[in-house]
Amino acid sequence: MLEASLSGLAALFTGQAMIFMSLGVAFGLLIGFLPGLGGVVAMALLLPFTFGLEPAAALAMLLGAHVATIFGSSISGILFNVPGAAKSVSICFDGYPMTQKGEGARALGAAAMASFLGGIFGAIALTISLPFMRAIMMSLGPPEYFMMALWGLTIIAIFSDGSVLKGIIAAGLGLLIAFIGMDPVTGTPRYTFGSLFLLDGIDFSVAVIGLFAISQMIKLYVKGGSIVEREINMGHSTVWDGVKDVFKHWRLVLSSSVLGLFIGALPGVGASIGGVAAYGQAVQTSKNPEKFGTGAVEGVIAPEATNAANEGGGLIPTLGFGVPGGESMTILLSAFVTMGIQPGKELITNNLHLVFTMVWIIVIANLLTTGFGIFTAKKFAKLTTLPGTVLIPVILAVCFVGAYSVKGRIGDVVVAAVFGVIGYLLEKYDYSRADMVIGMVLGLMLERYMHISLTLHGKLFFVTRPVTLVMLIFVLITLAYPFIRKWRLSRNGGAV
Amino acid sequence: MFKRKSAFVAILLVLVLILGSLTGCGAKQTSNDNKQPAAQDKPYYDGKTITLIVPNSPGKGMDTYARMIVPYIQKYSGAKDIVVKNLTGAGGLVGTNTLWSSKPDGLTIAFTSIPSLMLAQMSGSDGVTFDATKFTYIGRASTEPRILTVGGKSSINSAEDLTKLGRNFKFPTQGTDEDFFTMATLAKSLGFKLKAITGYEGNADTAMAVVKGEGDGHITAIMDAKTMIKEGDKKAILVVGMERSKEYPDVPNALEVIKDENGKQMMQGIVNMLEMHRSFFGPANMDENATKALREAVWKALNDPELIQKAEKAGTPITPMKGEEVQQKVAKVVEASQHLRPVLKEAVQSTK
Repeated sequence: MLEASLSGLAALFTGQAMIFMSLGVAFGLLIGFLPGLGGVVAMALLLPFTFGLEPAAALAMLLGAHVATIFGSSISGILFNVPGAAKSVSICFDGYPMTQKGEGARALGAAAMASFLGGIFGAIALTISLPFMRAIMMSLGPPEYFMMALWGLTIIAIFSDGSVLKGIIAAGLGLLIAFIGMDPVTGTPRYTFGSLFLLDGIDFSVAVIGLFAISQMIKLYVKGGSIVEREINMGHSTVWDGVKDVFKHWRLVLSSSVLGLFIGALPGVGASIGGVAAYGQAVQTSKNPEKFGTGAVEGVIAPEATNAANEGGGLIPTLGFGVPGGESMTILLSAFVTMGIQPGKELITNNLHLVFTMVWIIVIANLLTTGFGIFTAKKFAKLTTLPGTVLIPVILAVCFVGAYSVKGRIGDVVVAAVFGVIGYLLEKYDYSRADMVIGMVLGLMLERYMHISLTLHGKLFFVTRPVTLVMLIFVLITLAYPFIRKWRLSRNGGAV
Repeated sequence: MFKRKSAFVAILLVLVLILGSLTGCGAKQTSNDNKQPAAQDKPYYDGKTITLIVPNSPGKGMDTYARMIVPYIQKYSGAKDIVVKNLTGAGGLVGTNTLWSSKPDGLTIAFTSIPSLMLAQMSGSDGVTFDATKFTYIGRASTEPRILTVGGKSSINSAEDLTKLGRNFKFPTQGTDEDFFTMATLAKSLGFKLKAITGYEGNADTAMAVVKGEGDGHITAIMDAKTMIKEGDKKAILVVGMERSKEYPDVPNALEVIKDENGKQMMQGIVNMLEMHRSFFGPANMDENATKALREAVWKALNDPELIQKAEKAGTPITPMKGEEVQQKVAKVVEASQHLRPVLKEAVQSTK
């Protein structure tokens, strides 16, 4: 195994592989930075250029770009509340408040380092788990996916600071929006009013551009000035603070990475859920959950580590079964075909060095993006002191182009703008946008897997399957935990 | 007071921006008229611009095919330019509806999966405004036989076992796509009971369900099942196509095992439809000169050795069929559709 690992690394140390990886990483950072465009687009655009390259170089470019989009989209998420890709939406929940407090550089540093460690944990876990990941994948099914989604919904309680009712309303609005379009089970159109455009539903990444970025620009315009006022001393937080934060919260990085690995490995559980789940997990294990949403560095670390570890996870079913672990992995599979690589056991027994090449690509690409992130964070953070008169037109233009480019439909630009107004109003009247996003992400997943579970395992599926039952109990405990703690605190308080 | 006012202005500005972009784009689309009468000695497409509608997402399988072939059509037709336009939405219906209502001058054509369109129409899907049997077919670029696979640990080993199952055959599916309808027709003509489990997110999701044994089996492209069959995660039961597959010569073709004459006819209808798979087509009653010129150009393009080699290397092989032949197949499909229609509608109903 060590030998294969070394020869896999050696394959990367050719001029061609290194040049193409750097190109891929640079391209990925740029694509990630732009709203609406994520790893899938980066890989799809690069795929034609890989024909005729050495396998190592081709994979280096594709995977390198994919890895880099994660940090790229975090940059715009943290600094401008513009999530570069749908799956980094949860980075905005705390990243942007940090920027507003003048800690943009620290948030960027933390994100870069968390992404690096998450990616490496993902790669290591990929190596270790290859033999028995198969068994885990075989034992989890729709009922367990349903429980994961249910657990995700419990996160709503966290954001409903002040008013639980407002939180539930926001989440309900999200669920409602998720149900627009073709119903995944029977194919019946819902809330489409006969429009073909609405038949495809509201695209998540478009809605997110509106909810976060455009609404923010409206707010900035109303408020005047810039995101971060020049008077705030930018010097009081540095990139290195962020890097140190990550090491301080190493346990969180570890647990988030494991979570990301799993979510990546399960086809049918989308990557957007990864970030949201990681965030919830960070809040629930934190000692001060009330700090989240106001600029807690853990809120940046957790989703970033999860997203980075997702890569390694997605490779598991792709390499092991020939089943793509996500949309981007479909593109990787088609690249395999052109290179004559046949996934499956044969790849792992005869071409193990190639698997390790991929593991090393993830590690090195992460190293490159982190290096880039750490050395440029300070300069990037300065962008937020630009006056709104300069920033608003630029960001709005980029947002509208981004919304258009998601599917190439002009209607999506309208959708983004409408969601911009909705987002602005939500924030103004203290409804949590995060709750709404969670509702949107989880709505269809809940519906899908509840229906499949019911048809496959009957009405009592949540008690007849042991794994599902354990997960259900876990969900109930997490739901009850805040109340129990409050009750205990008040009792102790009374005694003293 | 001032704040509220500027919020209003901001929202207004955003709306104006959108309206501006909407009208800007709307105006552009109709400027493609080329009024010059075709000179006798000049090829029909000389100096003209063709718009190729691809109703599928950019970068995905169908789009990759289209963009790979387009330069060669341009070369043989003499067209000045061929613009590929991805008009996605409603499972390809948006783009196809657009083509149906565009001018039949041969300057707007489309490329997508024909069976999806025909099946959407026959099963009575919402939003279909076209009649797929009336399109002008220009040529098929590729097709690949489909395969029915079951899980590696399944008790089903042959087509016969399907009918002897004694319970419903659990069929995980992502929705009412062509594989769903093929499966429904196969069950009807072989005489086994099917329980479609809808709601899965995609092919990867359903494949895992079959491997895990959650579902009994499903139909996919042979290419997508190859690895899993080799690893023993899946077993190949039937090939759905004109003949047996070269890769699995021992696996019988569905048409061989269906005994019932009526059933055979239905299955033949589906196979004919699947045969047309990735094709170029134009609006109904397309200009005769244009049809002739384009059919010829597409046929030459699809037989260009350079393209064939390129396609083979990319794992997206070309299996050309002449436009005239595709058009004849359509007529046959219409014949079979009398029997198929109720089966398809019943299949859709069963998922509700």
